[in-house]
Amino acid sequence: MNCARPWRLLAVKLAQHAARVVPGARSPWAQAMQHELDYIADDPAALRWAIGCVLASYRARLADRLSFGARTAWRRVAASGALMLLIGFALLDNAGGQTAPPAPRPPVDETTCDLGSPPPVLCRSGCADRLPTEMRGARDDHLKDDSCSSKSKTR
Amino acid sequence: MPRRPNSSRQARTLLAALLDGPGTWRHGYDLSKETGLRSGTLYPLLMRLSEQGLLESRWQEAERPGLPPRHVYRLTAAGLALAREQALEAMAGERAGALA
Repeated sequence: MNCARPWRLLAVKLAQHAARVVPGARSPWAQAMQHELDYIADDPAALRWAIGCVLASYRARLADRLSFGARTAWRRVAASGALMLLIGFALLDNAGGQTAPPAPRPPVDETTCDLGSPPPVLCRSGCADRLPTEMRGARDDHLKDDSCSSKSKTR
Repeated sequence: MPRRPNSSRQARTLLAALLDGPGTWRHGYDLSKETGLRSGTLYPLLMRLSEQGLLESRWQEAERPGLPPRHVYRLTAAGLALAREQALEAMAGERAGALA
């Protein structure tokens, strides 16, 4: 190869660059393009050929990158899915006891009175006067209400 | 409707050129001169056809000393079938165009 001519030299440099750019699996193709340059006698034609080699190598590299990107994206999606499944199973195992229906509440003791605590002194006979005045009203209300006393009687 | 693979004008031109001498090995530069395709178009096409199993390639020793080996190409059986099918379609298209 005569590299004294500038066009030829440029063509050779471009072809070498193209060979470096092409991904490894396609390097025989880059070599093929580069070797073909030695069979082109015309320098401008060789330069055009070398420019085409660069374009082809960039296309090959881009295609390789895109396919690699799709593969990695698919791997990420699959890994995320697997992780979510694992988390789901872990939650299912840990929440096993918590998902059972709550224990039944104890039946309401209907004999008890829910009107509040009775006054401390329930005196029906004449001791009412000895209660403090603020407690007399509450005691009287409690005694008037029949619901509590009737419930306790029926039981 | 999805486009058929290898139905581009460049692919059809290349397949037609390779069909001319079905069993003979062809060089990239010869194919480029015959089809008018530049190396930037020709080699990606050759790579694709090869990956699809339509084209086979090998290294051929240089006829003259001091020159590197050349990569040569020819159609496989599947490539020949596709090239013939496309050639028939092209002929049918030309006939239909002539009748219309």
